[in-house]
Amino acid sequence: MNLLDIRNLSIELVNEKQNILAVDKVSLSMKEGEVRGLVGESGSGKSLLAQAIVGVLDEKWHVHADRFHWRGIDLLRLSIEERKALLSRDIAMIFQEPMACLDPTNTVGEQIAEAIDTNSLSGFFWQKQKQRHEGAIKLLHKVGIKKHSACLNSYPHQLTEALCQRVMIAIALARRPILLIADEPTAAMENTNQSQIFRLLASLNQLKNMSILLISHDLENITHWTNTITVMYSGQFVEAGTTEQIFNKPLHPYTRALVDSSPSANFHLPAKSRLMTLPGSIPILQHLPIGCRLGPRCPRAQQDCVKAPSVTNFHGHKVSCHFPLTPIKSPRKWLKGVC
Amino acid sequence: MAELLKVKALSKSYQQRDFWLRKSIIPVLEPISFSIKAHKTLAIIGETGSGKSTLARVLVGAEQASSGQIFLNGQLLQDGSYKQRCQHIRMIFQDSGTTLNPSLTILQLLDEPLKLNTPFNEKKRTELIRTTLQKVGLLGDHMNFYPHMFSGGQKQRISLARAIILQPQVIILDEALAALDPSLRSQMINLLLDLQQQMGLAYILISHNLGIIRHFSDDILVLSQGSVVETGKTLEVMKNPQHKVTQKLLMNQNFQLKPVKKQ
Repeated sequence: MNLLDIRNLSIELVNEKQNILAVDKVSLSMKEGEVRGLVGESGSGKSLLAQAIVGVLDEKWHVHADRFHWRGIDLLRLSIEERKALLSRDIAMIFQEPMACLDPTNTVGEQIAEAIDTNSLSGFFWQKQKQRHEGAIKLLHKVGIKKHSACLNSYPHQLTEALCQRVMIAIALARRPILLIADEPTAAMENTNQSQIFRLLASLNQLKNMSILLISHDLENITHWTNTITVMYSGQFVEAGTTEQIFNKPLHPYTRALVDSSPSANFHLPAKSRLMTLPGSIPILQHLPIGCRLGPRCPRAQQDCVKAPSVTNFHGHKVSCHFPLTPIKSPRKWLKGVC
Repeated sequence: MAELLKVKALSKSYQQRDFWLRKSIIPVLEPISFSIKAHKTLAIIGETGSGKSTLARVLVGAEQASSGQIFLNGQLLQDGSYKQRCQHIRMIFQDSGTTLNPSLTILQLLDEPLKLNTPFNEKKRTELIRTTLQKVGLLGDHMNFYPHMFSGGQKQRISLARAIILQPQVIILDEALAALDPSLRSQMINLLLDLQQQMGLAYILISHNLGIIRHFSDDILVLSQGSVVETGKTLEVMKNPQHKVTQKLLMNQNFQLKPVKKQ
């Protein structure tokens, strides 16, 4: 059974003049214990999608979905309160720029203690307080901070960025979530710190069987850590498959360009030669092209591309393109040929 | 080929006075020497606080060096020679969104260095701005736009236009490629390489991304706590790192390069 099963989720920005479709029919499914990467450049709607899953979008945004299942429960049929209670128990999210997300006026200890579930505590209030403090220390140990007393008593600005991110992860772990959504957890971080954070997430995934949705704008950064990857472009679904499929045999021209444009992925390329790129820039929300939104930049675009392509599934490798790089034979046609 | 930029025993330290007005000296850069030729790129890597950005700021003249000399084409750059320095050594910053003045049009932005450094009249300046914008892949008509009308990649191109408009010889890229999206980043790398070919520019590239450094640079300089721990040709250093710091930096990046084949 899938942990999370989303079919055709659309997010619309309601405006006085016109409604803007920021995310257009994106499907996403996650299995238990899986690390899935969600890759897209800026403006691809990946953060919006994550916020829609957690349910923190405000009223300007309208979210529709054909199917939205969480561990077999149809979330669309629940009332808002029930849905919130369920999701806040099972899903946690960490945001980019940890320094900006922590409360600067409270110490780290207070913020972690606040996140601990009251129902897990017992006894009189002084006992509860002590349990809270111990819980906070345990959480800090879990994310690899050994000097817990110094960390608990300091304010966010006194810690480094990587430590703040660890504190954020500790707060997210406080309710023992089943799914952790990490929205660019290592943006603007040093290499050494980046790999530390990724290693921590990977160990949490393996030890606690926690599923992780890892959001990033850079494909090459996360390939080492993910099992499966979903690629988005400008609010549309592009391609989904296992990391090897996406990286070694991309079907969509956009994924191909992403892989080719990273110099570290192409070791055979001589130094100072030209890199493969797509022409043009990412369209802004007010002027989205119709049909396939990659159309104006795509090297393989043809007349059919003014219609949005449907998703084709090929051994679990889903792609949304009229003219994929290696032509997919529809299994039904192939069967007809045999018969 | 003669050296374009030569740096001899350059160092930087800050002075601080404590409560009793006693002086204490905090060294940021130990004496550093290196040189760059035209058409070449020097990459500088190191962890945070290793003095990369300070080195860039001293070279461009935003801060005064405590000791040491900088030679440009064999000529010593004096401390007060900002006019000469800002013509020949230009810098591009990381965040293009905040380095462009939002209340000026692109024309006014690019006009400023020309007004201060060249004797051209208005017509010639406008013409030069038009050709420079075309050189970096924008349209001449973009000069009447304001910075907020551009996307992030285009803003970075405008920063580049501002850097090359005075026909400099050295451009310092301080994390200039870090904030860009991958597809725009490779466009920018192609553009920078083309300009290097055409104008014979020398780049000093400060970056975290070792993939870009491997692709882009000829020589490499590894800084750690203000001192140089390793220098050499980029490919040789990357193949066979000697110093611990370099090995650590490379290992952390190698972690993220290619997906491991799973059985």
